[in-house]
Amino acid sequence: MTSSAALEIPEYLRVRPIEVSPATVIGWTRPEPIGELDRSCLEALRPGDYEIYDEKLANYLDEAREIFIRSGVSGMLRSGDLIVAVYTANGDLASASAGTYLHCVTAMLPIKFVLHAYLGEPTVLVREGDIFYANEARYGGIHNPDQMAFMPVFHDGELIAWTAALAHQPETGAVEPGGMPLSARTRDDEGMKLTPIKIGENYRIRRDLLDMVVNFIGRAPRMQAIDTRARVTGADRLRRRVQQIAAERGNGFVRGLLRELVVRAEQAARRRVAQWNDGVYRTAVFCDTIGRETGLLRASLAAIKKGDTITFDFTGTSPENDSSYNCFPHVVAAHAATFLYAYAFHDLPVSNGLLAVFDWVIPQGTIFNASPNAAISNAPLVNCLTLAAIPKVMAQMLYDSPSRELIGACNGNTTGPVVFSGRNQYGIPVAEVDAAPMNTEGQGARSDLDGVDAYGFPWAHAGRAPDVEETETEYQVLRLYFRLRGDNAGFGMRRGGAGSETALAVRHVDAMPWNQRSRNAKITCALGLFGGYPSSSCFGIHVRGTNLWEKMARGDPDVPANTVELATRRAIAGEYRFEHPSRPRRIGMNGDLIVHLSGGGGGYGDALLRDPGDVVRDLKCGAISDWTARNVYRVELDPATHEVDAVATERLRAQARRERLRRGRPWKEFIAEWSKLRPSDEALGHFGSWPEGTPDPGKVRSWL
Amino acid sequence: MKRRITENLDIDTGSLTWHCHRCGGALGPASANYKQGCLIDARDPREVWRPLIEEEYNFSYDPEWMRLVEYYCPGCGTLIELDVLPPGHPIPHDIELDLAQLAKKPAAEEE
Repeated sequence: MTSSAALEIPEYLRVRPIEVSPATVIGWTRPEPIGELDRSCLEALRPGDYEIYDEKLANYLDEAREIFIRSGVSGMLRSGDLIVAVYTANGDLASASAGTYLHCVTAMLPIKFVLHAYLGEPTVLVREGDIFYANEARYGGIHNPDQMAFMPVFHDGELIAWTAALAHQPETGAVEPGGMPLSARTRDDEGMKLTPIKIGENYRIRRDLLDMVVNFIGRAPRMQAIDTRARVTGADRLRRRVQQIAAERGNGFVRGLLRELVVRAEQAARRRVAQWNDGVYRTAVFCDTIGRETGLLRASLAAIKKGDTITFDFTGTSPENDSSYNCFPHVVAAHAATFLYAYAFHDLPVSNGLLAVFDWVIPQGTIFNASPNAAISNAPLVNCLTLAAIPKVMAQMLYDSPSRELIGACNGNTTGPVVFSGRNQYGIPVAEVDAAPMNTEGQGARSDLDGVDAYGFPWAHAGRAPDVEETETEYQVLRLYFRLRGDNAGFGMRRGGAGSETALAVRHVDAMPWNQRSRNAKITCALGLFGGYPSSSCFGIHVRGTNLWEKMARGDPDVPANTVELATRRAIAGEYRFEHPSRPRRIGMNGDLIVHLSGGGGGYGDALLRDPGDVVRDLKCGAISDWTARNVYRVELDPATHEVDAVATERLRAQARRERLRRGRPWKEFIAEWSKLRPSDEALGHFGSWPEGTPDPGKVRSWL
Repeated sequence: MKRRITENLDIDTGSLTWHCHRCGGALGPASANYKQGCLIDARDPREVWRPLIEEEYNFSYDPEWMRLVEYYCPGCGTLIELDVLPPGHPIPHDIELDLAQLAKKPAAEEE
C-alpha cells in the first residue's frame, strides 16, 4: 500500500501524506490545505458567482443522479441508495446529490488514494478520459457491495475536478448471496474487492476489465454489467456538466467554486458548533447480533465538545469479533455523517468542509477499528450502533442552543433486508435485496414533531421503496402484505414514526435461496430521547409448508392482513418458526412465508405528556393498540367512539406518576441491587469481560 | 438564572444545580450525574410491549438482555430520561457540562 510516485505533483493536486492503511485513511476526511492556486481562484470569484453556480451545480448533480438511477437495475440502486458527487482537483468533496450521506465520506477516499498513489506513478497515471472503479473498504469504502465509478475532469489539458457515482450492489460473489455474508469470518469469504483501478480510458469502459468484474459476480452477472455501466454513466454525465461550466467561465472559476463550497461549509459549521455548550456527552448503545449468532455488542461514545470542535471518542466499544460485524474507522465517520449532513448541518453545502470540525478516537482492536484482514461485509449493520449513539449525544449537546429544532431521536435502525437469489420466474439468475421494508422504517420523533411513518432508510434518507408490483413482476415472490406496523413506533410525548411489516411468499419456482441479516429482537438500538421509548422488537417469522395458494384460490376471508393476525390466529396452516431476524442462507420452498419487520423511530419525551387527542389519532390510524393507549399513555376513552374522558385520563396519569414514585429507588439503593445483575451467558458470548468488555484471550483472532 | 438543558432538565447557573423542568425540584449538583438525584426503576420491557404469543420471540424484548432504566423526578414523577441497558450495565453519566463556560453564556431567549 505504498506509493512509488516518480513524477513531480503540482501543489494543487497534492493530498495530505499518510501511511495508507484501513485504520488511517480516515485522515483524508478533513479538507486539504488550501494551496496558492486555489486561494487565488477563490479570491477571483465575484459577488453572485457562488450563489448562482452553487444552484446550477446542484441541478447538474440531481440530473446525474436521476440518470444514474434510470440506467441501473438492482433494487438498492433503483431505490436511491447512492451518491453522485463532485470533488476539487485534489479530492475534497465539494457537493453531492445524496440518496445516502454515508458516501460523502467514503466516495472521497479512493479518489484521494489515486491522487496519492497513482497520479505520479508512471505505470498508472491519471489522464483525460480515464474511468476508475473501486469497492475495497481498506481504501476508503464501507464494504464491498458499495461500488463506485470515478473520473478525473480535465479541461484544456488541466485536471480541474473529479466526479463519482456510487451505489450498493446486491451481489459480490461472496460465500453467500447478497454481498453481506453472515458466515464470513475473514476478508477472503467476502467476494470481489477491487482496489481503485482504471477500468476505462478515452471515455470508454475497457471490455476486458468489465468482463473481469462481471466474472466475479456469477450469481447475477447481468445485474453487475448493467449497474457498472450505470455508475459510469452517472459520473460521466456530471463530468460533462463540469466541463461545460469550465467552458463558460474558465478553469479557475471551477476551482474557485468547488473550493468555496468546502470553505463555506467549514466556516458555517464552526460558527454553529461554537454556539453549543462545552462539555462531555456520553452514551452506551447495544445490539444483539454478531454474524450468525446472537450476542451483545456495545458502542461507547463520549462526545467532547470544546469551542468549535467536537471529538468523538469510542473508547469502550466492543472488541473485534470473528464475524463480518466489524469495520474500519472511516466507516464510523460515514455513519455519523448520515446524521450530521441530514440533521445538525442539513443547510450547509454537502462538502467535507463540515468534517473539519470533527476528530475521531477509535481504538484499534474494536469492532470499529478492526484488523486489516477482518471480515467487514456487515459493516453497515454493526454501525447501527453509530446511528444510535450520534443522535443521542448530539441531542444532549444541541438542546440548549438555537439548533434545538435540529435534534431527532434515532430512526428505525433495524433494517437488514431479506436477500433472495436463484432463478426468477423467467429463468434468469438473480440476487436481490428486498428494498421495500428497508426503505420504510420510521423516523425518530423530534422536539416539536412526531416522526414520519415509513419515512425511509436510516442509512439513506432519500431512498424510496420500490413499487410492489414491479418487484413481483421481476422476482419470484408475492407480497402477501406490506403495511405500517402497529405498536411499533417509539412511544413518547412525540411518538416516533411507524416502520413497516411485510410477508413474502415464494412463488413461481419450486425453491428459492434466501437469508436475512437484521437485529433489535432481544435488545434495541432504535432509541428514544429524553424519556421517549425505543421502538418495538423486530424479529423474524418463517412459515413452511403452507396452504397459502389454496386459501387464496378459494378466496378465504381469513388470509392474514398483518403480522399480529398471522402470528396469533395462524389461519394459514404450516410450520411456524419465530426466530431472530439474523438468518443465514436457507432454502424457501414454494408457498413458504418470510416475514420481515422493520423498525420504528424512537419516541421523544414522557409518554404521560402526550396530548390525549394525539393518542386517539394514533389509535384511529392503527399506530397503537387499545392496550397501549390505556397502559402506556394512560388515556381513558370510550372504546366505541374513542371519545377521551379528560378527567379520568388525568386521574390515570396522576396514578401512574404515583406508581413511579413508589417503584423508584434512590441512587445508592438502586445501584446496590442493579450492579448484582448481569445479562444471560448467551448474550455475553462475544462481549469480553463484563461489564468492561475487555477481549477474551480465548477469542482473540489469530492474526492479532 | 435557569437554563433548559434538555426537555426535562434545567440547570441553575447561580447555584450550579440540576432541576426538574416540570416542577423545579432540585436534583443535585450540576457537576454530578443528575441521575443520582432521581428515583430509578429498571423495568421489564414486557410491561411496555406485551408479549402476544408464547414463543421466545413474542413481539416484546428479552428481559435477560434488556431493561428500561427509567429516571423519575422525585418531586413530580416526570420521566426525566430513560436508558436501554443490559441488566447490571453501569449507568452512563450522559451530560457533564463545562459549568464555567455555561455560567458565562448569555441568557437563553426562552424559559
